[in-house]
Amino acid sequence: MRFLKRDFRQRLNATSSVGLMASAGLFSFLGLAGAPDLVSGQEFNSPQSDAFLVSEVSSIQAGTPFTVAVRFEMNPGWHNYFPNVGDTGLPTEIDWALPSGFEAGEIHWPVPSQYRSGPLLDYVYSDGLALMVVITPPVDLPAGGNVTIEANVEWLICEALCDPDFAEVSLELPVTEGTPGLDPRWADLFQTARARLPKSVPSWTANADLTEGGYTLSIQSSDENLSVPDSVYFFSWDAGVVEPAAAQVMVAEGGSLTLELARSAYATETAATLRGILKAEDGSSWSAEEMVSGLLVETAVEGVPPPQEAGSAADPSATALSGAAQAGGSEGFTLTLALVFAFLGGILLNLMPCVFPILSLKILGAASQGGEDRVQVRNQGVLFALGVILAFLALAGLLIALRAGGNQLGWGFQLQSPTFVAFMAALFFAIGLNLMGLFEVGAALTRIGGRIGESGSPGESLASGVLATFIATPCTAPFMGAALGFALTRSIPETLLIFGFLGFGMALPYLILSLAPGLLEKLPRPGPWMETLRHVMAFPMFATVIWLIWVFGQQTGIGGATYLLSALLFVTSAGWMVGRWQRTDKRSGIVARAVSLVMWAIAIGLVARGAAQEAPLMAVTEGWTPYSQAEVDRTLAEGTPVFLDFTAAWCLTCQVNERVVLDTDDVQQAFQDRNVALFKADWTRYDPEITEALEALGRSGVPVYVLYRGGSGSEPYILPALLTEQIVLDALEEVLSP
Amino acid sequence: MRVFAALLVLGLAAPQLAPDLGAQLQDPEIRAPAPAFTLPDTEGGEHSLTDYAGEWVVLEWLNYGCPFVQKHYGSGNMQKLQAEYGQKGVIWLSVVSSAPGEQGYYVASEMAAMNEANGNQAEAVLLDPEGNVGRAYGARTTPQMYVIDPEGTLLYNGAIDDRPSSRLSDIDGAHNYLVQALSEAMAGNPVSQPTTQPYGCSVKYN
Repeated sequence: MRFLKRDFRQRLNATSSVGLMASAGLFSFLGLAGAPDLVSGQEFNSPQSDAFLVSEVSSIQAGTPFTVAVRFEMNPGWHNYFPNVGDTGLPTEIDWALPSGFEAGEIHWPVPSQYRSGPLLDYVYSDGLALMVVITPPVDLPAGGNVTIEANVEWLICEALCDPDFAEVSLELPVTEGTPGLDPRWADLFQTARARLPKSVPSWTANADLTEGGYTLSIQSSDENLSVPDSVYFFSWDAGVVEPAAAQVMVAEGGSLTLELARSAYATETAATLRGILKAEDGSSWSAEEMVSGLLVETAVEGVPPPQEAGSAADPSATALSGAAQAGGSEGFTLTLALVFAFLGGILLNLMPCVFPILSLKILGAASQGGEDRVQVRNQGVLFALGVILAFLALAGLLIALRAGGNQLGWGFQLQSPTFVAFMAALFFAIGLNLMGLFEVGAALTRIGGRIGESGSPGESLASGVLATFIATPCTAPFMGAALGFALTRSIPETLLIFGFLGFGMALPYLILSLAPGLLEKLPRPGPWMETLRHVMAFPMFATVIWLIWVFGQQTGIGGATYLLSALLFVTSAGWMVGRWQRTDKRSGIVARAVSLVMWAIAIGLVARGAAQEAPLMAVTEGWTPYSQAEVDRTLAEGTPVFLDFTAAWCLTCQVNERVVLDTDDVQQAFQDRNVALFKADWTRYDPEITEALEALGRSGVPVYVLYRGGSGSEPYILPALLTEQIVLDALEEVLSP
Repeated sequence: MRVFAALLVLGLAAPQLAPDLGAQLQDPEIRAPAPAFTLPDTEGGEHSLTDYAGEWVVLEWLNYGCPFVQKHYGSGNMQKLQAEYGQKGVIWLSVVSSAPGEQGYYVASEMAAMNEANGNQAEAVLLDPEGNVGRAYGARTTPQMYVIDPEGTLLYNGAIDDRPSSRLSDIDGAHNYLVQALSEAMAGNPVSQPTTQPYGCSVKYN
């Protein structure tokens, strides 16, 4: 009978008066013969909750409606249910027993909360719930006497486990001639209850559309002062419409919001109407006048753009983009031109912001080699170049393999993985600490990993080339975009050739430096200044770490970023341990290294935890609409010009272009003057739709900027990867002038 | 420069850390092959869906601690259905997906005692403490019912009846969806309501 104890103790502990109830519950639970019918809620009174009836008024008057509330007290952690319970549970029921002629209205349900248990999600209320109901007495009610209002209330009270609960509630109220007075005891309760009700706010309008997997709910505000909350959840009134636990993907911008709602697994038919509560989960209000956390939404589901037709040739507006884009992509672009572009792009990659730290390290390397054997310097330069080219080829191979597996990936795809970003951050941070002199790693690892780290060894030069390439991946330099987009449409050998040229271009400056002895001799002789230079070069490393943490934070939220920062703390302690004891005797050195490996392991664990975090969905910048092909097509069909910004948080070039050019007042004003609709396609995380759109434009990475004139058959005008205000203004002039 | 190589080795040697995606529910398609499973019963035997090829199969998600399950066992409703369809050759399998330590979880011997005490008439009570089969079937509540035809095709997924309550008195007069689905399907007709919103306690997954 061991299995009984848990349940027994749990109920006993809850309150003092449950001994009898607990054993009664157990009897029925065992199905023992002769056990009374204690399963039904009517007899089983859960110790976890209770209900009471209270009135807002201290007296009532014939014909004047008044409000009462069923108030629930629940133990901490316990909850009862919204009319649509979500995955499991039961809605609360109030069965009124009123004097003749009295009428009770509907329950005014407050805004519920989400309760998650494993893969399931329920819609619930916790302690302090008050369900308000308006009661209307008959007009011929004589004054002077008392009336009794009664109700049977049934609900399911749950934490992990559930008890049915039941209360007979009643209230006696005097009937008076005069206007009913308010009962001061419950003024706060009713005020709170009203504040918790969902409300309609006239400045918001809602639309609903059908999608392949369910519905999209969009709301727009006509009031400029209202912005959408950072995080929302839609509670459908009706069960069997929306899948409760499915992620509700939100795209928000200024005064409008779109929410993807998955169709319920138990939906029997497509809902003609979406009715429910849109809850602001960040504490913000839907109304400028008062606090409204839940917006009442009711809208007919319109439009039937089924999935297959949206992208097919049957829809002329949808083909406008892809059809025209081919002109910008494959046609008129030869392999030779692609190779030249790739080569030029590779050279320019060295000047891109994300490659700068590598540049600084290479200068340091060159300086330290100043006094070394020329042959060795040349060999190292060649090996570095080889490393860069091999890394580009490996990256191309990986990309080809993954794409063959059906993944929609493009340039910089590895930075869409938070885990990769976090490891880059840890790596850069460790390099920075090393440059600052906190510890020396080379010697230690040389012994572990063979002779890789030997000064100027072939392995090391090769590896630094590989690393340089990985760091460079977030950047798309001018010329590169077109070349890479072209590359991915070609046969495998041609793709590899183009990538190889890109790597060759990137490695060329170093190759020249190491092959031209005259240049090297211009560098000063090695000396104490090198130590200072080494320290100074740590700063670009730390700056890169800041950027990577920012990217990671965009992907995983502040929680994820905090995990990463904690991981860096362990990286620091690992470095310090090695540095502190590596110059002392051998044994403590070994211990320190062992402990530091543990620290690394902890850091890796933290990174994994952090990478698993989901960022709250980002609101797109003011003035920009989140990209959706359907929306773009619709806008173009209306004859409105469209500007598309393909961007990602990890793309520094993109960020610079946006801050320095696109979001400046002048450019924004120019967009406005010409009535250009602005769309932002955020590729920070993997997104097949955006990848497809990029491919249709003949590109495989960000940034890409596209301007359409609008109207039928409007061709995409692709702007350069590095923008200036003048470039954008000229493009507007050229494309949009009549 | 050697720091590069060293750290690169460390970075690349780091294990591939796939984020735990959390155990999501699958929602099996109606009129598609039912998810395969093999689970132990309380007597040391094993049962696979494929063992019952050529038979009608009912799956019932079970948690004896759940008031909604108690409604159907306390009233004798569930046992009656189990016996009735058992006689017609339908293989009735109760599945317990409660995780160890959660409500409704018992080790095999205790579960056998519970079955005895409750008069369970099923062909077998299957133990799914990992919840894998529950997740594969998208089981959300106890009770939740599934009907699989002799070809192994899933024909019904949903509630036992149309009275979502834990009241015993709601059994009489309820429209039993399981009976409806089985009667229609076994008569060779399409199931008119192949999915209904299940009601009950949440399945106590780990």
